[in-house]
Amino acid sequence: MKEIEVALIGNPNVGKSLIFNNLTGGRAHVGNWPGKTVEKKEGRCIHKGVTMRIIDLPGVYSLTAASIDELIARNYIVEERPDVVVDIVDASNLERNLYLTLQLLELEANLVIALNKSDIAEGLGYEIDVKGLSELLGVPVVPTIATVKVGMEELKDAIVEASKRGVKARVRYREDIEELIERIGNILKRDENLTKKYPARWLAIKIIEGDKEVMRLIEERGLMGELREVIG
Amino acid sequence: MSVREVLGEEPEVAMAEERYRVIGEILSKVFRGARPLTLSDLLDEAFLNRYLGIPIFLTLWWALFRFTFDVSAPLSDLIDIIFSRLGEFASSIIGNEWWSAFVSDAICGGLGGVLVFIPPIFFLFFGLALLEDSGYLARAAFVVDKILRPFGLQGRSFIPLLLGFGCNIPGVMATRTIPSERDRILTICVNPLITCSARLPVYVLIAGAVLGAYASMAVFTMYLLSIVLALLMALIFKALIPYFRRGRRAPFILELPNYARPTLRSTLTHMYERGILFLRKAGTIIFLGIIVVWLLSSHPWGAPLDQSYIATLGRWLEPLFRPLGFDWRGAVALFFGFIAKEIVVGTFAVFFGLGEEAEIEEVQRSIVELGVFTPLTGFAFMAFTLLYIPCLATVGIIYRETNSIKWTLFTVIYGLILAYLIALLIVVIGGLMGLG
Repeated sequence: MKEIEVALIGNPNVGKSLIFNNLTGGRAHVGNWPGKTVEKKEGRCIHKGVTMRIIDLPGVYSLTAASIDELIARNYIVEERPDVVVDIVDASNLERNLYLTLQLLELEANLVIALNKSDIAEGLGYEIDVKGLSELLGVPVVPTIATVKVGMEELKDAIVEASKRGVKARVRYREDIEELIERIGNILKRDENLTKKYPARWLAIKIIEGDKEVMRLIEERGLMGELREVIG
Repeated sequence: MSVREVLGEEPEVAMAEERYRVIGEILSKVFRGARPLTLSDLLDEAFLNRYLGIPIFLTLWWALFRFTFDVSAPLSDLIDIIFSRLGEFASSIIGNEWWSAFVSDAICGGLGGVLVFIPPIFFLFFGLALLEDSGYLARAAFVVDKILRPFGLQGRSFIPLLLGFGCNIPGVMATRTIPSERDRILTICVNPLITCSARLPVYVLIAGAVLGAYASMAVFTMYLLSIVLALLMALIFKALIPYFRRGRRAPFILELPNYARPTLRSTLTHMYERGILFLRKAGTIIFLGIIVVWLLSSHPWGAPLDQSYIATLGRWLEPLFRPLGFDWRGAVALFFGFIAKEIVVGTFAVFFGLGEEAEIEEVQRSIVELGVFTPLTGFAFMAFTLLYIPCLATVGIIYRETNSIKWTLFTVIYGLILAYLIALLIVVIGGLMGLG
């Protein structure tokens, strides 16, 4: 039987734990992230002949190098390359939640969005064009209400479906930023081992932002000299 | 064009703005609706009100504690009765004298004396989970931020400190949400001063035994002392240790989730996940500790308690504690309490439960009859228990979270010194006032 690895991520308070429980039936193996004291929850879900190993990532607002939780989440996605990353988005608070989504797209994660708390969004009178959102982001979007287990089967379907196809989403930024990303990307691509391990586009964005961890990595690979001119 | 030319001096901020611009563009195409005034907003008008916020916070907190201790009391009594009956039953059917004593005194008496605290601990975590899941806890952090600031702590320090009332381990672990390393270390250092639920049994035992009508006031004083000293020590560390003064204070930004009706399942899950830590501790380190205490106190086999190995150890420690008015039994209990505070109660239970059922009242009666504590030294003993390092597991977690032997030792040592000083102060001042 096929086994795929699925990571759950989302802002705090979006109902991530509930979705984790709904998918795994509440049975979880609780451990720690290697070398860290942050709790790591893992569970299993079998759907249409596919076994999903579900990993609950820490709840985070973004993926900077600022806190342990954010580092754990992003290192997991970068280094373990899970087959599918389920980004749980609070439909009643779209703007802030999509910030994390964009960063996940930068990471070239194979995303499925669970648009959770759809009921609350509806209660607030929000109208969300789910299909349009899915097209603009280039990833499947599944409306869910985790508290009453609505949308769980559809979510599982979308996960299995996504695991079969590759990543195709790419959000484009302003032209001049895209140019920078490309120039930095071209320099990075000379180091094949590096770009085999990390998405070049993501590294480029992190270099633009001056991300501590990525800068250290670049220093180690001896790429700082060439990049200095672009960074300015 | 370089990064600096395109994005200016703060490219990280510029990138964040760019992401929000893209999000705005997407939302303009797929999203319609304006945020109406919700019930959450209305509740926040009251809970976050400049004048009402703190009184509401104190009221809810008080309700939580009443719920924890009053509602759980009958269940604790039930466990107490079960274990003492079990002990009697075991000693009546086991022929071998040694094994019979082991089962009835060490296991049923010692461990049972600890397990009676399962109900209050689980109730406390249940109440905390309710407050957390309803969305109130985040508001509480917001409300107390103003109170904590002058002490060098901040709103984010609040939840770790609050959890400390349940157990210092999740308390120390919860400091991870504090982004500033300095604020985080400071919050960790003072967390052990927050009186965890494991210390409550000690207060209840001693206060109930020697303080009579003042018992509940004395227990309350411990909670007060705990809060006051945690804040005071934070202030002192901040003033005296240059490390805590370096750097700019991070502004306090906290997300306030919408209020939500907590689901029973998730509240129970939260309660279970935190409470199970206590059970695991009871099943391993506390159990072992109590067995060691029992072995040392019942051997040489057949010798009376004051000629046992543990009495020898106690007499060796006694001079150290004599200024505080603790005898060898108190010294030994504190010694083993270093492993876990629950063992302090377990130790007294083993001492005075020898050969008889170890109901709490029984142990308390023995403490009075044998004159282990006077009201004054009993009170000092409670304060000492409050202030020295809560348990070995907490020391371990402090080390893991600070990743520094220096801060771990610092926390252990200042706790011991503070405990000794405060206990001494209580005994001396009380003595001068003619109490005792």
